[in-house]
Amino acid sequence: MKAAVALLAALAFAALPLMTSSNYIIGVGISALIFTVAAAALNLIYGFTGLLSFAQLGFWGIGGYVTALTVVTFGGNFWWGVLWAALINAVVALAIGYPTLRTNRHAFVIMTLTFALLVTLIARDWVDLTRGPLGIPNLPRPSAFGYHFATTGQYYWVAWAFSVAMLAFLYALCSSRIGRTLVAIKQNEPLVRAQGIAPMPYKLSAFAISAAVTGAAGGVFTFHLGIIDPLFLDFYYMQTFLIIVIIGGAGSFWGVIAAGIALSALPEALRFSADFRMIIYGVILVVAMFVMPTGVAGWLRERQLARMREQLR
Amino acid sequence: MTVDAVYLLQLTLNGITLGLIYALIAVGLSLIFGVMEIINFAHGELLMLGAFAMTFALPVMGLLYWPSLAVAILAIMLVGLVIYEVLLARLRPDEFERSILITLGLSIIIIHVMQYFFTATPRLVDTQYGFEGVSIGSIRITWTRIIGAAAAAAAFGGLYLVLRHTQFGRAMRAIAQNREAALMVGIRPRVVARNAVVLAAGLCGLAGAAISPIQLVTPYMGQFLIFKAFALVIIGGLGNIPGAIVAAIALGLIESWIGGFYEIIWQEAAVFVIMIAVLFVRPDGLFKRGGMRVG
Repeated sequence: MKAAVALLAALAFAALPLMTSSNYIIGVGISALIFTVAAAALNLIYGFTGLLSFAQLGFWGIGGYVTALTVVTFGGNFWWGVLWAALINAVVALAIGYPTLRTNRHAFVIMTLTFALLVTLIARDWVDLTRGPLGIPNLPRPSAFGYHFATTGQYYWVAWAFSVAMLAFLYALCSSRIGRTLVAIKQNEPLVRAQGIAPMPYKLSAFAISAAVTGAAGGVFTFHLGIIDPLFLDFYYMQTFLIIVIIGGAGSFWGVIAAGIALSALPEALRFSADFRMIIYGVILVVAMFVMPTGVAGWLRERQLARMREQLR
Repeated sequence: MTVDAVYLLQLTLNGITLGLIYALIAVGLSLIFGVMEIINFAHGELLMLGAFAMTFALPVMGLLYWPSLAVAILAIMLVGLVIYEVLLARLRPDEFERSILITLGLSIIIIHVMQYFFTATPRLVDTQYGFEGVSIGSIRITWTRIIGAAAAAAAFGGLYLVLRHTQFGRAMRAIAQNREAALMVGIRPRVVARNAVVLAAGLCGLAGAAISPIQLVTPYMGQFLIFKAFALVIIGGLGNIPGAIVAAIALGLIESWIGGFYEIIWQEAAVFVIMIAVLFVRPDGLFKRGGMRVG
């Protein structure tokens, strides 16, 4: 049932460029798909494993820059760029994850935050590599098997195929034994240790996978924008991923997917000015943390539990 | 490479000023963490509000430095009180992630509301001292820098005395060291937490007001500083106040020296590299935390 609904939704999304010729709407569609993937990756590390990572923003930016530089500076093609983005991010995540995860979760949060800022500063100040605030414009759209994804409508298929593949992968991971172990680590780490499972490799791999997926998503998104500059590391992106995960319900795979689609489309539909949108995002974040700390999915689950208790009485 | 002694001394003095400002922010964060076990993400925005309060107070006070400084600090303490009563008082001590997300939302609201009303145009702040300064040999330091550094140093002295020798401060340390025992002897955690937040906000207001004549004032000025303050709190050991001060002044010096001789990117990356190195060697920070220490 769930699989059928997911398949139908995926196919309906695939048909978007056939239904409209408006580049604006298709652009919103691409954002919705990519943001949902990035939010699902954050959900893996925060929702399932219980580690709040702000480094996602850094991975997103590294992914974007690696993909763009592979094509423009190192003469590779887009597909290799995305692959490199995933690989490099996984290695970076292992390198910063190992010392940080040995400490407590407080240090992890702060460390990932500082990492995100560091990437922003490198993007801005390492002018020889990243061209600084000017950025790298005119990124060429990719082609495969002689087909050139030139227009926004054609590039939408790339974003779609990428998102479906990544979400399927993340779903398989989260619903497997590994996913259950991650949830167990979040809920009670000493108990996991007592069961003879070492938490560290699980946490590290969840962090690395989450980084790789976020980086690849950043790479795909860069080529939709056609330009990369330090604004690609604006805190706005991190904010969006976080709000999607929190409203959807941290730890709920489908809740986050639904929230990703809905929340990416909503601000576009309402068309606020940039400042006003951020204020509203901030208010949503604060209010949601007080009113609905487990998100829509958690709220629904609580209601279901309450009804079951009522019946048993 | 020959190192010019005068240049080096100039860098050192700038580094100390910078370090003292970092320390004001990091100490506030450490204080709040010690008492409530939460991180205040909006701390950088308190600094920014302090700087803005200074820019508005100065013209009203006829450019007089000290009254404006006092107004700015009081205003930010009031903001801290409101933030505590409205948001932070509802948090339990173990809700670390929730505290981060709530104060993150708050920080975004403050930044963008300020930008909406006062635009992102950087403001230059003029005081009664202007850009005058003292010259020692061929070194020149402006009065605003000297006073900023002195005020910060005085604030640390005051903080030490308050935490060490008043009932108000002892209660804070008691809560930080052993929550249950403190409850048993009749200390109210809510009151203590409120005092800690207001005190931390006051230090941050002082930092903002002191920095405003030195740097350009923009709605984003708090963001870059707060990231460094976070790193400092980790390096010094979470909740360890002298650790945070030592780490902050050391970082100010290191950044200033690196900035004087190498490219800017190394200056910005220094704090991160140091933090990673410290975490490798001592996962609990350079100075291990045993409750909240003041000396």
